[in-house]
Amino acid sequence: MTTLEHDWFPGTVPDNVEIGPDGWFHSTFAFRHYRSRRPRGLVIGANCGIYIGTLFDLGPDGEVEIGPTSTCTGPIFATNNRIELGERCLVSALVVLADEPCATPPVADEPTAPPSEPRPVVISMGDDCWVGMGATLLAGAHLGAGVIVGAGTVVDFAVPDGAVVVGNPARILPGKGTA
Amino acid sequence: MTAFDASTVTGGWSLDRLPPGLVQAGVGCELERLESFERIKSTARPALVLGDRVAVYTWTGFGIDAGGRMEVGDDCVLVGPQFLCGDRITIGPRSVLSYNVSVADCDFHPHDPAARALDAEAISPAGSGVRPTLDTAPVHIGADCRIGIGAVILKGVTIGDGATVAAGTVVTGDVPAGATVAGNPGRIVHP
Repeated sequence: MTTLEHDWFPGTVPDNVEIGPDGWFHSTFAFRHYRSRRPRGLVIGANCGIYIGTLFDLGPDGEVEIGPTSTCTGPIFATNNRIELGERCLVSALVVLADEPCATPPVADEPTAPPSEPRPVVISMGDDCWVGMGATLLAGAHLGAGVIVGAGTVVDFAVPDGAVVVGNPARILPGKGTA
Repeated sequence: MTAFDASTVTGGWSLDRLPPGLVQAGVGCELERLESFERIKSTARPALVLGDRVAVYTWTGFGIDAGGRMEVGDDCVLVGPQFLCGDRITIGPRSVLSYNVSVADCDFHPHDPAARALDAEAISPAGSGVRPTLDTAPVHIGADCRIGIGAVILKGVTIGDGATVAAGTVVTGDVPAGATVAGNPGRIVHP
Protein backbone atom coordinates (compact mmCIF):
# COMPACT_ATOMS: atom_id res chain seq x y z
CA MET A 1 0.00 0.00 0.00
CA THR A 2 1.45 3.31 -1.07
CA THR A 3 0.99 6.32 1.16
CA LEU A 4 2.09 9.92 0.75
CA GLU A 5 4.69 11.06 3.24
CA HIS A 6 3.15 14.51 3.69
CA ASP A 7 -0.47 13.35 3.82
CA TRP A 8 -2.96 14.79 6.33
CA PHE A 9 -5.54 12.14 5.34
CA PRO A 10 -5.07 8.54 6.45
CA GLY A 11 -5.56 7.08 2.97
CA THR A 12 -3.55 5.20 0.40
CA VAL A 13 -2.82 5.60 -3.29
CA PRO A 14 -4.87 2.99 -5.18
CA ASP A 15 -2.81 0.32 -6.99
CA ASN A 16 -4.03 1.41 -10.45
CA VAL A 17 -2.83 5.00 -10.01
CA GLU A 18 0.49 6.12 -11.54
CA ILE A 19 1.92 9.42 -10.36
CA GLY A 20 4.94 10.58 -12.36
CA PRO A 21 8.21 11.74 -10.80
CA ASP A 22 9.08 15.26 -9.63
CA GLY A 23 5.48 16.31 -9.02
CA TRP A 24 3.28 17.21 -6.05
CA PHE A 25 0.08 15.39 -5.10
CA HIS A 26 -1.84 17.07 -2.29
CA SER A 27 -3.45 14.15 -0.51
CA THR A 28 -5.03 10.74 -0.85
CA PHE A 29 -8.24 12.56 0.10
CA ALA A 30 -8.43 13.01 -3.69
CA PHE A 31 -9.41 9.31 -3.81
CA ARG A 32 -12.32 9.64 -1.35
CA HIS A 33 -14.76 8.56 -4.10
CA TYR A 34 -12.29 6.83 -6.44
CA ARG A 35 -13.71 3.52 -7.64
CA SER A 36 -11.87 2.92 -10.90
CA ARG A 37 -11.04 -0.72 -11.55
CA ARG A 38 -9.41 -0.06 -14.92
CA PRO A 39 -5.87 -1.41 -15.39
CA ARG A 40 -4.63 2.19 -15.33
CA GLY A 41 -7.33 4.28 -13.66
CA LEU A 42 -5.37 7.49 -13.17
CA VAL A 43 -2.09 8.34 -14.89
CA ILE A 44 -0.37 11.61 -14.02
CA GLY A 45 2.71 12.63 -16.00
CA ALA A 46 5.99 13.86 -14.60
CA ASN A 47 6.28 17.24 -12.89
CA CYS A 48 2.54 17.80 -12.35
CA GLY A 49 1.14 19.81 -9.42
CA ILE A 50 -2.12 18.33 -8.12
CA TYR A 51 -3.21 20.66 -5.33
CA ILE A 52 -5.78 20.71 -2.55
CA GLY A 53 -9.41 20.36 -3.59
CA THR A 54 -8.68 18.15 -6.57
CA LEU A 55 -10.86 15.04 -6.47
CA PHE A 56 -10.90 11.99 -8.70
CA ASP A 57 -14.52 10.77 -8.43
CA LEU A 58 -14.03 7.99 -10.97
CA GLY A 59 -16.57 5.23 -11.46
CA PRO A 60 -15.45 1.59 -11.84
CA ASP A 61 -14.93 2.10 -15.61
CA GLY A 62 -13.44 5.61 -15.30
CA GLU A 63 -9.98 6.70 -16.49
CA VAL A 64 -8.10 10.01 -16.32
CA GLU A 65 -4.71 10.76 -17.90
CA ILE A 66 -2.98 14.07 -17.25
CA GLY A 67 0.03 15.12 -19.33
CA PRO A 68 3.35 16.18 -17.82
CA THR A 69 3.96 19.61 -16.30
CA SER A 70 0.24 20.25 -15.80
CA THR A 71 -1.23 22.09 -12.82
CA CYS A 72 -4.57 21.26 -11.17
CA THR A 73 -5.50 23.70 -8.38
CA GLY A 74 -8.65 21.95 -7.26
CA PRO A 75 -10.73 20.62 -10.14
CA ILE A 76 -13.08 17.66 -9.73
CA PHE A 77 -12.93 14.83 -12.26
CA ALA A 78 -16.25 12.91 -12.24
CA THR A 79 -16.32 10.29 -14.96
CA ASN A 80 -17.07 6.67 -15.70
CA ASN A 81 -15.45 7.11 -19.14
CA ARG A 82 -12.07 8.61 -20.07
CA ILE A 83 -10.72 12.15 -19.71
CA GLU A 84 -7.37 13.17 -21.28
CA LEU A 85 -5.32 16.30 -20.64
CA GLY A 86 -2.26 17.28 -22.67
CA GLU A 87 1.03 18.74 -21.49
CA ARG A 88 1.31 21.99 -19.50
CA CYS A 89 -2.46 22.30 -18.96
CA LEU A 90 -3.58 24.73 -16.23
CA VAL A 91 -6.88 23.77 -14.58
CA SER A 92 -8.15 26.11 -11.91
CA ALA A 93 -10.17 25.87 -8.69
CA LEU A 94 -13.88 24.99 -8.72
CA VAL A 95 -13.58 23.48 -12.19
CA VAL A 96 -15.62 20.32 -12.73
CA LEU A 97 -15.04 17.85 -15.58
CA ALA A 98 -18.00 15.47 -15.68
CA ASP A 99 -19.91 13.01 -17.85
CA GLU A 100 -23.23 14.63 -17.00
CA PRO A 101 -24.56 18.07 -16.03
CA CYS A 102 -25.94 16.73 -12.76
CA ALA A 103 -23.02 14.46 -11.87
CA THR A 104 -22.70 12.68 -8.54
CA PRO A 105 -19.89 10.64 -7.03
CA PRO A 106 -20.00 7.07 -8.31
CA VAL A 107 -22.30 4.62 -6.61
CA ALA A 108 -21.51 1.46 -8.60
CA ASP A 109 -18.55 -0.72 -7.56
CA GLU A 110 -18.45 -3.28 -10.37
CA PRO A 111 -16.96 -2.50 -13.79
CA THR A 112 -19.07 -3.31 -16.85
CA ALA A 113 -16.55 -2.55 -19.64
CA PRO A 114 -13.98 -5.20 -20.67
CA PRO A 115 -10.53 -4.11 -19.36
CA SER A 116 -8.94 -4.68 -22.79
CA GLU A 117 -11.29 -2.27 -24.59
CA PRO A 118 -10.45 1.43 -24.53
CA ARG A 119 -12.92 3.69 -22.82
CA PRO A 120 -14.59 6.48 -24.82
CA VAL A 121 -12.80 9.81 -24.41
CA VAL A 122 -15.63 12.14 -23.36
CA ILE A 123 -13.51 15.19 -22.46
CA SER A 124 -10.05 16.11 -23.75
CA MET A 125 -7.56 18.97 -23.78
CA GLY A 126 -4.67 19.48 -26.13
CA ASP A 127 -1.36 20.80 -24.88
CA ASP A 128 -1.18 24.21 -23.17
CA CYS A 129 -4.88 24.64 -22.34
CA TRP A 130 -5.90 27.08 -19.61
CA VAL A 131 -9.24 26.56 -17.82
CA GLY A 132 -10.46 29.38 -15.58
CA MET A 133 -12.10 29.19 -12.17
CA GLY A 134 -15.53 27.61 -11.90
CA ALA A 135 -15.67 26.43 -15.50
CA THR A 136 -17.57 23.22 -16.22
CA LEU A 137 -16.45 20.82 -18.95
CA LEU A 138 -19.08 18.25 -19.90
CA ALA A 139 -19.03 15.26 -22.23
CA GLY A 140 -18.22 16.55 -25.72
CA ALA A 141 -15.78 19.20 -24.52
CA HIS A 142 -12.75 18.52 -26.70
CA LEU A 143 -10.35 21.44 -26.44
CA GLY A 144 -7.67 21.90 -29.05
CA ALA A 145 -4.12 22.99 -28.20
CA GLY A 146 -3.74 26.32 -26.42
CA VAL A 147 -7.46 26.84 -25.75
CA ILE A 148 -8.48 29.30 -23.02
CA VAL A 149 -11.76 28.67 -21.17
CA GLY A 150 -13.02 31.70 -19.23
CA ALA A 151 -14.15 31.57 -15.60
CA GLY A 152 -17.61 30.07 -15.13
CA THR A 153 -17.91 28.92 -18.73
CA VAL A 154 -19.86 25.74 -19.45
CA VAL A 155 -18.43 23.83 -22.45
CA ASP A 156 -19.88 20.68 -24.01
CA PHE A 157 -18.58 21.03 -27.58
CA ALA A 158 -15.32 20.92 -29.50
CA VAL A 159 -13.18 24.08 -29.37
CA PRO A 160 -10.51 24.61 -32.06
CA ASP A 161 -6.81 25.16 -31.40
CA GLY A 162 -5.95 28.54 -29.89
CA ALA A 163 -9.54 29.69 -29.35
CA VAL A 164 -10.92 31.56 -26.33
CA VAL A 165 -14.33 30.38 -25.13
CA VAL A 166 -16.39 32.28 -22.53
CA GLY A 167 -19.86 32.70 -21.10
CA ASN A 168 -22.97 30.71 -20.38
CA PRO A 169 -24.17 29.79 -22.93
CA ALA A 170 -20.56 29.55 -24.10
CA ARG A 171 -19.31 31.22 -27.24
CA ILE A 172 -15.94 31.43 -28.95
CA LEU A 173 -14.61 34.97 -28.83
CA PRO A 174 -13.69 36.10 -32.35
CA GLY A 175 -10.26 37.66 -32.78
CA LYS A 176 -8.97 36.45 -29.40
CA GLY A 177 -6.31 33.93 -28.66
CA THR A 178 -4.21 32.52 -31.45
CA ALA A 179 -7.10 30.98 -33.41
CA MET B 1 -7.94 23.94 16.38
CA THR B 2 -8.15 20.29 17.22
CA ALA B 3 -6.15 17.65 15.45
CA PHE B 4 -7.59 16.05 12.35
CA ASP B 5 -9.91 13.22 13.28
CA ALA B 6 -10.26 10.54 10.64
CA SER B 7 -13.65 9.50 11.97
CA THR B 8 -15.11 12.78 10.73
CA VAL B 9 -14.73 11.65 7.14
CA THR B 10 -15.83 8.07 7.37
CA GLY B 11 -19.50 8.86 7.19
CA GLY B 12 -19.85 7.16 10.54
CA TRP B 13 -19.54 10.13 12.87
CA SER B 14 -22.18 10.81 15.43
CA LEU B 15 -24.62 13.70 15.41
CA ASP B 16 -23.82 13.92 19.14
CA ARG B 17 -20.74 15.93 18.19
CA LEU B 18 -23.02 18.84 17.31
CA PRO B 19 -25.08 20.91 19.79
CA PRO B 20 -28.04 18.81 20.97
CA GLY B 21 -30.98 18.89 18.59
CA LEU B 22 -29.23 21.07 16.00
CA VAL B 23 -29.42 18.48 13.22
CA GLN B 24 -32.12 15.86 12.92
CA ALA B 25 -31.22 13.10 10.46
CA GLY B 26 -33.38 10.18 9.31
CA VAL B 27 -32.26 6.61 8.92
CA GLY B 28 -29.56 5.60 6.46
CA CYS B 29 -28.03 9.02 5.88
CA GLU B 30 -24.46 9.20 4.58
CA LEU B 31 -22.85 12.24 6.13
CA GLU B 32 -19.30 12.48 4.92
CA ARG B 33 -17.70 15.37 6.77
CA LEU B 34 -18.51 16.89 10.13
CA GLU B 35 -17.20 20.17 8.71
CA SER B 36 -20.27 20.38 6.47
CA PHE B 37 -22.31 21.15 9.61
CA GLU B 38 -19.94 23.46 11.45
CA ARG B 39 -21.37 26.71 10.08
CA ILE B 40 -24.87 26.24 11.47
CA LYS B 41 -25.39 29.28 13.71
CA SER B 42 -29.16 28.93 13.94
CA THR B 43 -30.90 29.02 17.29
CA ALA B 44 -33.77 26.90 15.89
CA ARG B 45 -33.99 23.28 17.07
CA PRO B 46 -33.75 21.45 14.84
CA ALA B 47 -32.08 23.92 12.51
CA LEU B 48 -31.55 21.28 9.85
CA VAL B 49 -33.81 18.32 9.15
CA LEU B 50 -32.48 15.60 6.84
CA GLY B 51 -34.91 12.92 5.68
CA ASP B 52 -34.07 9.25 5.32
CA ARG B 53 -31.12 8.09 3.18
CA VAL B 54 -29.82 11.58 2.41
CA ALA B 55 -26.25 11.64 1.09
CA VAL B 56 -24.14 14.66 2.08
CA TYR B 57 -20.86 14.51 0.19
CA THR B 58 -17.48 16.13 0.44
CA TRP B 59 -17.63 19.89 0.08
CA THR B 60 -21.26 20.43 1.10
CA GLY B 61 -21.65 23.30 3.57
CA PHE B 62 -24.70 24.32 5.57
CA GLY B 63 -24.29 28.01 6.37
CA ILE B 64 -27.42 28.61 8.43
CA ASP B 65 -27.71 32.01 10.12
CA ALA B 66 -29.39 32.80 13.44
CA GLY B 67 -33.02 32.56 12.30
CA GLY B 68 -32.52 30.02 9.54
CA ARG B 69 -34.05 26.59 9.17
CA MET B 70 -33.54 23.98 6.45
CA GLU B 71 -35.30 20.80 5.44
CA VAL B 72 -33.98 18.20 2.99
CA GLY B 73 -36.33 15.43 1.83
CA ASP B 74 -35.79 11.67 1.71
CA ASP B 75 -33.24 10.23 -0.76
CA CYS B 76 -31.71 13.57 -1.75
CA VAL B 77 -28.10 13.59 -2.95
CA LEU B 78 -26.12 16.68 -1.95
CA VAL B 79 -22.87 16.34 -3.88
CA GLY B 80 -21.33 19.67 -2.98
CA PRO B 81 -23.81 22.52 -2.51
CA GLN B 82 -23.11 25.55 -0.35
CA PHE B 83 -26.22 26.75 1.45
CA LEU B 84 -26.55 30.32 2.76
CA CYS B 85 -29.76 30.24 4.78
CA GLY B 86 -31.05 33.25 6.69
CA ASP B 87 -34.68 32.19 6.79
CA ARG B 88 -35.81 28.97 5.15
CA ILE B 89 -34.58 26.61 2.44
CA THR B 90 -36.53 23.42 1.71
CA ILE B 91 -35.74 20.63 -0.73
CA GLY B 92 -38.24 17.96 -1.75
CA PRO B 93 -37.48 14.24 -1.87
CA ARG B 94 -35.14 12.61 -4.43
CA SER B 95 -33.56 15.82 -5.67
CA VAL B 96 -29.89 15.89 -6.68
CA LEU B 97 -27.67 18.95 -6.20
CA SER B 98 -24.39 18.42 -8.04
CA TYR B 99 -20.85 19.74 -7.51
CA ASN B 100 -20.28 23.41 -6.57
CA VAL B 101 -23.95 24.40 -6.43
CA SER B 102 -24.84 27.48 -4.34
CA VAL B 103 -28.26 28.11 -2.79
CA ALA B 104 -29.01 31.34 -0.91
CA ASP B 105 -32.28 32.64 0.55
CA CYS B 106 -30.72 36.01 1.33
CA ASP B 107 -28.00 38.25 -0.05
CA PHE B 108 -26.14 37.62 3.21
CA HIS B 109 -25.10 41.25 3.55
CA PRO B 110 -27.26 44.40 3.50
CA HIS B 111 -27.54 46.40 0.28
CA ASP B 112 -27.38 49.72 2.16
CA PRO B 113 -23.68 50.72 2.35
CA ALA B 114 -23.81 51.97 5.95
CA ALA B 115 -25.59 48.83 7.14
CA ARG B 116 -23.14 46.72 5.18
CA ALA B 117 -20.20 48.41 6.89
CA LEU B 118 -21.76 47.59 10.28
CA ASP B 119 -22.25 44.01 9.11
CA ALA B 120 -18.61 43.72 8.05
CA GLU B 121 -17.56 44.84 11.54
CA ALA B 122 -20.08 42.52 13.24
CA ILE B 123 -18.88 39.39 11.47
CA SER B 124 -15.15 40.16 11.72
CA PRO B 125 -13.09 38.00 14.10
CA ALA B 126 -13.17 40.71 16.79
CA GLY B 127 -16.74 41.76 16.01
CA SER B 128 -19.86 41.48 18.14
CA GLY B 129 -21.56 38.96 15.89
CA VAL B 130 -24.74 41.03 16.19
CA ARG B 131 -25.72 41.68 12.60
CA PRO B 132 -28.18 44.07 10.95
CA THR B 133 -31.41 42.54 9.70
CA LEU B 134 -30.97 40.82 6.35
CA ASP B 135 -33.43 40.77 3.48
CA THR B 136 -34.51 37.18 3.03
CA ALA B 137 -37.00 35.26 0.92
CA PRO B 138 -37.42 31.49 1.23
CA VAL B 139 -36.09 29.12 -1.42
CA HIS B 140 -38.01 25.97 -2.23
CA ILE B 141 -36.63 23.22 -4.46
CA GLY B 142 -39.28 20.65 -5.28
CA ALA B 143 -39.17 16.86 -5.52
CA ASP B 144 -37.12 15.04 -8.17
CA CYS B 145 -35.20 18.15 -9.25
CA ARG B 146 -31.76 17.97 -10.85
CA ILE B 147 -29.53 20.93 -10.09
CA GLY B 148 -26.48 20.89 -12.36
CA ILE B 149 -22.81 21.54 -11.65
CA GLY B 150 -22.01 25.07 -10.49
CA ALA B 151 -25.58 26.35 -10.59
CA VAL B 152 -26.47 29.32 -8.36
CA ILE B 153 -30.00 29.58 -6.92
CA LEU B 154 -30.85 32.96 -5.43
CA LYS B 155 -33.32 34.18 -2.85
CA GLY B 156 -37.07 33.87 -3.31
CA VAL B 157 -36.79 31.18 -5.98
CA THR B 158 -39.21 28.28 -6.15
CA ILE B 159 -38.19 25.39 -8.39
CA GLY B 160 -41.08 23.12 -9.29
CA ASP B 161 -41.14 19.33 -9.02
CA GLY B 162 -39.07 17.52 -11.64
CA ALA B 163 -37.35 20.65 -12.94
CA THR B 164 -33.83 20.60 -14.36
CA VAL B 165 -31.28 23.36 -13.82
CA ALA B 166 -28.45 23.12 -16.36
CA ALA B 167 -24.80 23.34 -15.32
CA GLY B 168 -23.64 26.86 -14.49
CA THR B 169 -27.14 28.40 -14.50
CA VAL B 170 -27.81 31.44 -12.32
CA VAL B 171 -31.46 31.07 -11.26
CA THR B 172 -33.05 34.37 -10.28
CA GLY B 173 -36.74 33.54 -10.82
CA ASP B 174 -39.21 30.71 -10.37
CA VAL B 175 -38.89 27.58 -12.48
CA PRO B 176 -42.15 25.75 -13.32
CA ALA B 177 -42.52 22.04 -12.58
CA GLY B 178 -40.82 19.91 -15.22
CA ALA B 179 -39.08 22.85 -16.92
CA THR B 180 -35.40 23.18 -17.80
CA VAL B 181 -33.58 26.42 -17.13
CA ALA B 182 -30.11 27.33 -18.45
CA GLY B 183 -27.69 30.23 -18.85
CA ASN B 184 -26.73 33.38 -16.94
CA PRO B 185 -29.18 34.86 -16.24
CA GLY B 186 -31.18 31.64 -16.33
CA ARG B 187 -33.80 31.33 -19.03
CA ILE B 188 -36.35 28.58 -19.48
CA VAL B 189 -35.25 26.49 -22.44
CA HIS B 190 -37.81 23.70 -22.16
CA PRO B 191 -41.10 24.75 -20.57
